[in-house]
Amino acid sequence: MLKFDLRAPTTLLGVFLLFALLILVLFEQLAHGVDGTVQLLDNAFALPSWQEPLGTDQFGRSNLARLSAAIQISLWMSLLCVITAATLGTVAGIAAAWLRGWVDASIGFVVNVLMALPGLILVLLIGALFPGSFTALYIAISLVLWVEFFRVVRAQTLSLLASPEIEASRLYGFGPLYLFRRHLLPRLLPSLLPLACFGAGNAILALASIGFVYVGLQPPRAELGLMMVELFPYYSDAPWVLAQPVLCVFALILSFNLIAGGFRHDH
Amino acid sequence: MIINIENLFIRSEDQILVENLSLTVQSGRPMTILGETGSGKSLLANAIVGILPTGLSQEGLISLFGRADLSLAERQALWGREIAVLPQEPWLALNPIMPLQEQVREVGELVMGQSDDQSRRRSTSLLHKLGLAKDHAKIPSQLSGGMAQRGAFAAATYAGAQLLIADEPTKGLDASRRDQIGAMLKQHGQQGALLTITHDVQLAAQIGGDIMVMRQGQVLEQGSAQEVLNAPKSDYAKALINAQSDRWPLRAQRPTGENQLIVRGLSKQRGGKTLFRDWDFEVRRGEVLGLCGDSGCGKSTLADLLLGLVKADSGQIKATVPFGPQQCLKLYQDPPSAFAPGVTLGQLLEDLIRLHKLDRQPIGPLMQQLKLDPGLLARSASGVSGGELQRFAILRALLMQPKLLVADEPTSRLDPITAREVTELLVDAARSSGCTLLLISHDSGAMQRVCDRILQFTPDRPLLSEPLLGARAQQCA
Repeated sequence: MLKFDLRAPTTLLGVFLLFALLILVLFEQLAHGVDGTVQLLDNAFALPSWQEPLGTDQFGRSNLARLSAAIQISLWMSLLCVITAATLGTVAGIAAAWLRGWVDASIGFVVNVLMALPGLILVLLIGALFPGSFTALYIAISLVLWVEFFRVVRAQTLSLLASPEIEASRLYGFGPLYLFRRHLLPRLLPSLLPLACFGAGNAILALASIGFVYVGLQPPRAELGLMMVELFPYYSDAPWVLAQPVLCVFALILSFNLIAGGFRHDH
Repeated sequence: MIINIENLFIRSEDQILVENLSLTVQSGRPMTILGETGSGKSLLANAIVGILPTGLSQEGLISLFGRADLSLAERQALWGREIAVLPQEPWLALNPIMPLQEQVREVGELVMGQSDDQSRRRSTSLLHKLGLAKDHAKIPSQLSGGMAQRGAFAAATYAGAQLLIADEPTKGLDASRRDQIGAMLKQHGQQGALLTITHDVQLAAQIGGDIMVMRQGQVLEQGSAQEVLNAPKSDYAKALINAQSDRWPLRAQRPTGENQLIVRGLSKQRGGKTLFRDWDFEVRRGEVLGLCGDSGCGKSTLADLLLGLVKADSGQIKATVPFGPQQCLKLYQDPPSAFAPGVTLGQLLEDLIRLHKLDRQPIGPLMQQLKLDPGLLARSASGVSGGELQRFAILRALLMQPKLLVADEPTSRLDPITAREVTELLVDAARSSGCTLLLISHDSGAMQRVCDRILQFTPDRPLLSEPLLGARAQQCA
């Protein structure tokens, strides 16, 4: 059966990193209470202090508040995208494998069209058409992510539908819902969960990438990629400020990738 | 003395897998280790060759060719030249994309350093001797199980190793193939040294020499083949010998029922190969009909056709009384693969009862009849043994009161004692519920004693026979 193995040190590190970032957000929300949009120009690039544990940026805004807002946006975005993509990909994958024929062919066609252009280009394109829109980016990233879920689910469902266990249940008269709940889902989850973790990492990377080229969310919103590009001109004056969003993106993606490796399939 | 083992223990972290084993193997005196799967027999072979899986430790003395202090590198130098291992299920050990002769010839080239010409000549003559002359250019997927087995034998013995270790050499082979491989092993055992590991009593009898009976890592008895096989001392050895299919009690009955299925002009091709063409036969109500034939001949396909799972190319199958829904069911070869993962067997039974609003009353007596412990219902398919799961599968099928039950090699993955028990329970249960049973098996000995009629696959037509007379005659003789 599917297990999440916390004993491996890499998995433990992944979970620890994610928790550390969540605690940073929690601390900011509960104990800090500074508005990240308020500018204090004479306080630009202030060094860390008790009031501002992570210092301030080029406009004197609180780094902690902005970082926390940016992490929240990244996490919400990845969560929404992964849930959408996993649901869409699973439903479409099972439908294609089950019904075959024109359903399989038409979904396959859509998938091939989507795969024909690099995922990030599609996100860039939609980001450029609807500047600064969270919803547009959410749809764009989900559109790129679901393809992988579809492919994996379709391939596995095809072989599962030919397996003795499903043939037996069909002979006994069980319907599609039962086959999904008892046979398909337990067999698919071991591949879906790691895929979801990788998907979350990819969503965060995509959001930061297009933020970095000014096509994603717009200022004054705090977003990790956007923060990097805004702080980039000051890299020699305040490298430690630029390092903060860079480290955050790194930690987020690393944690999801490490967590993905923790799922074990036991018999 | 080729092999001399004294007080060998093999341990994993938490259990003893082989306990205090001592044996010797000499040239001209074959040694056979007999026991069920999982009794530590294969580990012994690994330990001798020097490839014990990591995590296991061994203790005691293993000396080969009179030397006890061989390092792994020294043992590796013996592989092929002095020690040959005939693997289990050789069709998996052969290279799937290389012609047979190439695989045999490679041994000459790579192990013995022969020239291309030399190795070609020797491999040709070796294949010829084993009756594979015509098949030298075939790749493993084009070979039958028996041919692959002989091909692997050719490769393993090419370099003229003195010691041959055969690990379950007859697994999955039918009786005629088993006799062939047995003859090959016997011949080797007369000249060189032979250590055979098997659960097949008939193979052990054929090879002769000495026999050691093992169960759960313990040696139960040992002695000459005649002694052990004719007068076994331990209960386990007795049970194992009695579980051989030619000793099963006769279960066949004279078929009497009227026709249930009438098959006319049935044809089916698969992958370009004609499995059967224009077949006519009948299935009688309530009989036990055996389907017999080589692997890959289309037994399972024929059964799937009768169940309506596969469509025929032409011809028709007519039921004299139409089947209701869920009255044609199937038992599978590998029981764990036929059950949903991660839920208890009780839950699966509950699902079925709720779906069809079944009566719970027959469950108790049926479980008793099938010797199923109620405690099993709290476990999942992966938590019970293969025999228990297959009996649970029979329970599940009989609850539906089926009219036709197909059992596709239902016991080939079970050890002989369990196989006998499950087959007997299956046949008795099917008979007492008046269900027609279609039994697919490569164990023709068992079929002869259990089936009312046997349908033998031949190239042109189905050959129907009633084994009852033959089996009775055998019993009297």
